[in-house]
Amino acid sequence: MAVTSPTVTPPTVASRASFKWLEGFPTIPVLILLTIAFVALFAELLAPYDPQVGTLSLRYRPPFWQTGGSMAHLLGTDHVGRDELSRLIFGARVSMIVGITAVMVAGTIGTVLGILSGYLGGWVDQVIMRIADAWLALPALTFAIFLAAIVGPSEFNIVIILGAVYWTRYARVIRGEVLSLKQREFVRLAVVAGCPKHVIMWRHILPNVINSAVVLGTLMLGVVIVTEAALSFLGVGVPPPKPAWGLMMSDGKQGLMVGHWWLTVLPGLCIMLMVLSANLLGDWLRVKLDPQLRQL
Amino acid sequence: MKQYITRRVGYSLLSLFLLSLTIFLFVRVTGDPTTLLLEPGASEEDIVNMRHQFGLDQPLWVQYGLFVKSFLTGDFGNSFYYRSPVVDLYFERLPNSLLLASVAMVLSLLIGIPSGVLAAVRVGGFWDSAGKVFTLLGLSLPSFFIGLVLILFFTVYLGWLPSSGAGTAAHLIMPAFTLGWYFAAAHMRLTRSSMLEVLGSEYVKLARLKGLPEAMVIGKHAFKNALIPVITLAGINLVVMINVAVVVETVFAWPGIGRLLYEGISFRDFPVVQAVVVIGGSMIIVVNLLVDILYALIDPRIRLES
Amino acid sequence: MAQNTELTRRSLMALSALGIVASARNAVAADGQLTWGVHVSLAPTWFDPAETPGIITPFMLMYALHDAMVKPMPGNGAEPCLAEKFKAAADGLSYEFTVRAGAKFHNGDPVTAEDVKFSFERYRGTSAQMMKERVAKVEAPDDRTVRFVLKEPWPDFITFYSSATGAGWIVPKKYVEKVGEDGFKKAPIGAGPYRFVSFTPGVSLVLEAFDDYWRKKPTVKRLLLKVIPEEATRLAALKRGEVDIAYSIRGELAEELRATPGLTLKSVVLQAPFWIYFADQWDEKSPWHDQRVREATRYAIDYKAISDALTLGFSPITNSMIPNGFEFYWQPPPATYNPEKAKKLLAEAGHGKGFDAGDYYCDSSYANVAEAVINYLQEAGIRVKLRPLERAAFYSGYSQKKLKNLIQGASGAFGNAATRLAAFVVKDGAYCYGNYPDIDELYAKQESELDVAKRTEILHRIQQMVHEKSMYAPIWQLAFLNGVGKRVGESGFGLVKGNAYSAPYEDVTIKK
Repeated sequence: MAVTSPTVTPPTVASRASFKWLEGFPTIPVLILLTIAFVALFAELLAPYDPQVGTLSLRYRPPFWQTGGSMAHLLGTDHVGRDELSRLIFGARVSMIVGITAVMVAGTIGTVLGILSGYLGGWVDQVIMRIADAWLALPALTFAIFLAAIVGPSEFNIVIILGAVYWTRYARVIRGEVLSLKQREFVRLAVVAGCPKHVIMWRHILPNVINSAVVLGTLMLGVVIVTEAALSFLGVGVPPPKPAWGLMMSDGKQGLMVGHWWLTVLPGLCIMLMVLSANLLGDWLRVKLDPQLRQL
Repeated sequence: MKQYITRRVGYSLLSLFLLSLTIFLFVRVTGDPTTLLLEPGASEEDIVNMRHQFGLDQPLWVQYGLFVKSFLTGDFGNSFYYRSPVVDLYFERLPNSLLLASVAMVLSLLIGIPSGVLAAVRVGGFWDSAGKVFTLLGLSLPSFFIGLVLILFFTVYLGWLPSSGAGTAAHLIMPAFTLGWYFAAAHMRLTRSSMLEVLGSEYVKLARLKGLPEAMVIGKHAFKNALIPVITLAGINLVVMINVAVVVETVFAWPGIGRLLYEGISFRDFPVVQAVVVIGGSMIIVVNLLVDILYALIDPRIRLES
Repeated sequence: MAQNTELTRRSLMALSALGIVASARNAVAADGQLTWGVHVSLAPTWFDPAETPGIITPFMLMYALHDAMVKPMPGNGAEPCLAEKFKAAADGLSYEFTVRAGAKFHNGDPVTAEDVKFSFERYRGTSAQMMKERVAKVEAPDDRTVRFVLKEPWPDFITFYSSATGAGWIVPKKYVEKVGEDGFKKAPIGAGPYRFVSFTPGVSLVLEAFDDYWRKKPTVKRLLLKVIPEEATRLAALKRGEVDIAYSIRGELAEELRATPGLTLKSVVLQAPFWIYFADQWDEKSPWHDQRVREATRYAIDYKAISDALTLGFSPITNSMIPNGFEFYWQPPPATYNPEKAKKLLAEAGHGKGFDAGDYYCDSSYANVAEAVINYLQEAGIRVKLRPLERAAFYSGYSQKKLKNLIQGASGAFGNAATRLAAFVVKDGAYCYGNYPDIDELYAKQESELDVAKRTEILHRIQQMVHEKSMYAPIWQLAFLNGVGKRVGESGFGLVKGNAYSAPYEDVTIKK
């Protein structure tokens, strides 16, 4: 453990090869996530119908095992007569893309600002944190509604909105991490050795906060996907007729009262499985990678 | 120290200024209230009159000046939609929001803490997984879905609970549960990890060595200490809850701040949106400021740092 | 038993002596209450007729709290109410109203000519300026006579005074002057069948029967209007009996409502047509410039099926963007759904394989209509991208001419065919993205036309041109669907033409 050169990596990553590391590996959640990813990737091959076009006269057909259902639409049809199964399949893609890219956008902005804020300190820190304060004061959904009104609804914009809303969570956590890293020997030595600031941030700080960022990402994925559904509920989510699970739930919500349960329960189940799996994976990663990240 | 506090207060004012400016511009960029309060196709004359009535025909900086002035005098002007003082509207709704948030918080702690303790005591066991999955469920389903399922079951099917509105304890159950369940996961997680940490600490080991019964060790020594961070988080989440409750308030027609704000946005009711955001923001900023100052008092290094 | 009653009566007297009489009386008349689940947030401005904006929602409250000299009533679009009678002078330059004998405000003051004059002068809502410009003066020669003197003949005067504005709704002069504007909104007093009890903004409104109402004594003692924004929640509340009448229940919920024993579905057709506006029709480079493409769009959509799916078929397909109840309305030939013809027209226009038609903007609260429409467009080969905008953003964008391609619009504004054309068809209209000179010319002509028959003819001609040029693809005239619970006798829906809500309230009853 003797640190001889300023570029030596810290000890946390050292024991990766050990098999014991896989202890408690969340097999089922990971399988679920892989399945969703597979479905999203091969949606065209798997979906029996075009998810965006339906026949109005065939609306509200129940799944095949209920009376009135048929094998033509295994999981029934929605309010425009579109095939629910096909929409769920393509919905996996939309939700995956929206969820993951939004988390990446939030993660990138948050990590960069968090590192700058934590490492440089001084007025940079103050300005970033004050912006984050002001941000926090704007309720996330409020903010999203405004952004949606300004930039208009589209998948891309939803990603930007979600990213813009949630970056502060990253920034705060990463900043905290950086503050403690700054006190560590390997960073101090790098400073003594005359490394320029941007090199230290890039080569010494960043690799050590990536773990936290990844853990936070898996946990945020759920938050982002559920928020996407809430945005649809408020009328500013992914624009129809694109199939996104959150939008499908929001569209089908009235159906709960009238027995069209499949329109909310099925996408709800998908969201639940995905969010649950991502969280369980995240929990495991958190313990493995960084036991200090407990306040998430 | 004095210098630190002065500077810190200065920064807070800066935050508040940024917030007020952002919200001021946001509401104005995104839509015109007159198009909503009048039907599309209303006469030009009506539109001009209404704009004048609301002071929207004045230059932006004049409007901003008036807004800041109204904020400083604690007046906030009149709502465009309700035509009554925003302050009245706000403080009429605030008790409802606080009530919902605090009951939801209690529920979330009632779910989160026991499952967190159980999970920590039986790491990797059945209770660990079951607790995790149950609390995470509240996080993984959109609250409008949970809310509607509850209404379907308890109002329509069983007929036990009123669907919406406020007034009695029965009105509170469903919205508070929906909101509380969402936060239960966070409290469960923190309880669990904080318990684990305490259970691994020296004095718990010592207590065990002394031969105290396990229940006593967990209940008395570990639990008490593990609770501190959970309560801290709960305090922060209480403020967050007031803000996140929009969807729950809409589903259950709960007359809280969230819906006031949401309707304010929908109708581009500038004074309402500005007031709700700025008052809420001030609270958060003030709390942050106090926390920072407290930390600085406790730990002088922070002072030197910045 | 007798003793018990005695005791109750005595304690009641004690209570009233203590000044808690109101709550005690409520307890007595508890079963005489009807509750509404309202879909919009109630605003105090709606308590004041002087503020009447150009939307129908305030009339939900005005029919309860207030009364007008002349107003639309069952079977009559302009029935004298607070006026016993009215007549126009032979030269069309003045109108004389006789105030009804015995009509009273809620505080017991009689309604006088002075109040009528005051209410008109105080009025500042929709079209206020226009009305005041045309009325030279209002005279009140005695307590029961009011004379409106016009600058020049104005055949629409009664329309505007009775239904298109709130100018004819009477407020008590003495009371308003005593309590001031804000005081009036906090505790409004009117001459309507129900008096104000309490109001919590955005939550609920309580009204109580005014027994001295001139037309009849209202049968229901108390009205409670509760705001419930979520549609499914409103239906749940109706099913459990928490509310007796639920406003706005659409689509599948309406089907469920109709199928639920004990509940009744009531539909009211609003004077609010929906349409698709071809914003690019004046841009020569756009495919929408080609009239055949616009016609194809109109043929491609099965409006009837959409109405069936979303409003159980209650929304009539009028094929016009002007409300069919409006003065000077011209009825176009019926809309036809003909996908073959649509494809043929598109092929002729050079889009045999379909084409990318750009964006389709709509108010996100009506995204369900848009979704059904673009489903048909898609089938015809017209590929559009749906862009639902949140309401405020949508209408701002629409009127600031920032939207493009296709716009799904709607309007429930008051007026007549001419006022609608001015906003949506004629050059410089608030929602016009372009114009046709021949239409503008005709429009200018009718503005100075005093002969009603000739003016009607011109306005009909313009509407026909709008139809023939396929300037718009009219979708439907929206039907407003509501749920009525089993306790309700007469719900008041559809009694007054053009009124979306329960009205007149004094006719609403509880089932015996």
